[in-house]
Amino acid sequence: MATIDISIFSLALTFILLALPAALSLIFGFNLIKSLFYSVARMSVQLILIGFFLKYLFEWNNAIINLLWLTVMILTAVYSAVKSSEIKTGKIFAPVFISFSFATFIVIFYLNIVVIPIENVFDARYLIVLGGMLLGNSLRGNIVGISAFYKNIRKESKEYLYKLSLGATLYEALLPYFRDSVRLALQPTLAAMATMGIVALPGMMTGVLLGGASPETAIKYQIVIMIAIVTSTILSVVLTILTTIRICFDKFGVLQPDVFIDYKNGGNKKRIKRNKKLISKTE
Amino acid sequence: MIKFENIHINYGGVKVIENLSLEIGRGEKVVIFGKSGSGKSSLFSLLLGFTTPEKGKVFFDGKPVDEKNVWNVRENIAYIDQSVSLGSGKIKESLASVFALKANAGLGFSEKRLNDLTNFFDLPPDVNDKNIEDLSGGEKQRLAIIIAILLKRNVFLLDEITSALDEALKKKVADYFANNNEYTCLINSHDPVWLENPTIKIFNLDEKKWLQ
Repeated sequence: MATIDISIFSLALTFILLALPAALSLIFGFNLIKSLFYSVARMSVQLILIGFFLKYLFEWNNAIINLLWLTVMILTAVYSAVKSSEIKTGKIFAPVFISFSFATFIVIFYLNIVVIPIENVFDARYLIVLGGMLLGNSLRGNIVGISAFYKNIRKESKEYLYKLSLGATLYEALLPYFRDSVRLALQPTLAAMATMGIVALPGMMTGVLLGGASPETAIKYQIVIMIAIVTSTILSVVLTILTTIRICFDKFGVLQPDVFIDYKNGGNKKRIKRNKKLISKTE
Repeated sequence: MIKFENIHINYGGVKVIENLSLEIGRGEKVVIFGKSGSGKSSLFSLLLGFTTPEKGKVFFDGKPVDEKNVWNVRENIAYIDQSVSLGSGKIKESLASVFALKANAGLGFSEKRLNDLTNFFDLPPDVNDKNIEDLSGGEKQRLAIIIAILLKRNVFLLDEITSALDEALKKKVADYFANNNEYTCLINSHDPVWLENPTIKIFNLDEKKWLQ
């Protein structure tokens, strides 16, 4: 039994459901209506565009175009991760891009060549769809891991410098932060895996089942994608941290404050703004 | 042993230290005296390579402190900072991690030596089983002092290490460092207890003059 298509009229009917959250927001003053409709509208437009795009992508199924599109997806993911790390984009974009690309391609090609395996490893259906799932899910872990690493070292600069003064090498001083960040990055995925299937059927499985595959096939795909996600997440977090260390720390082993976006010459921009506000309040 | 040559330090566009030259010989104990914010802690940062001066040079044991040898310089200096940045968690683990560093692996950690020192500085004998967060300010300070001593280094940078101690302990700590001939000490402190020792030299950072 193949997927039952939803007509545009039926799709419109789904939007009626939004009356519920809208009503609740009005009743209780959640103030969510604006962001709710903005997000739904934006999602709809993006998905419609992507729908058209994927239609042609699948039709052409050109290896070069597929790879290019995957690269665009990686670039977008990298930009998202870098932005949230609060480190200046220009400084770390290149190493993060290389790390993400390496982590994604290695896992995707392992799946396409060894695990599945498919005739055309650049097949749009497998390269882009699976690649997208990998990227999307490991992106979350990366954002958490990378930003935790640098923010914690900046926050605990006194402890970090003290470790250096005890005689620690750069690696020794960074190790506890490195470990914490990677563990933090993997936590959501590990937790999701632990309860998978018990709480709810995960997205991949749902899609595969709705597409008409048997449950046996569906669960196999789910297992494959989860292992792929955890592998690419840890690979990309580790590689990203290792490759950006050389840029963000000087040869004395000190984290350079000017790698952060909110750094202003002479001190923390946010702190200066905050102090100015306080001073103007008391005057 | 330690030489600051024509040092200029800026912080946030403000001149913190201007044209300072200061030399501390082996075995000397020097207290740096000056207003808060006059850059006393900056001198420690310079020596440990945590900051670099706008102008001027820093020398340790005759060699300029640069990115290559700073790692070696750090292995020869015991630094106790004002905020006692020991972190948190079990003291036992914290101590173990200090001596697990490659630089300190050859030192050999002696429980007996630890006990002698905890006794000497009036810490409870079971301090090793406690958590860092459970210690008082004064106890943390003494723990940091003990760690510094256990590192078996001969140059000490002491940043307000008596601030949380009572009179008797202040004297004990000051005497311990002042009277050890092997030690070279650069001391940042407002505490007059240091001045009671004849071995102590005093340098006024604001006026860039030796007082004693």
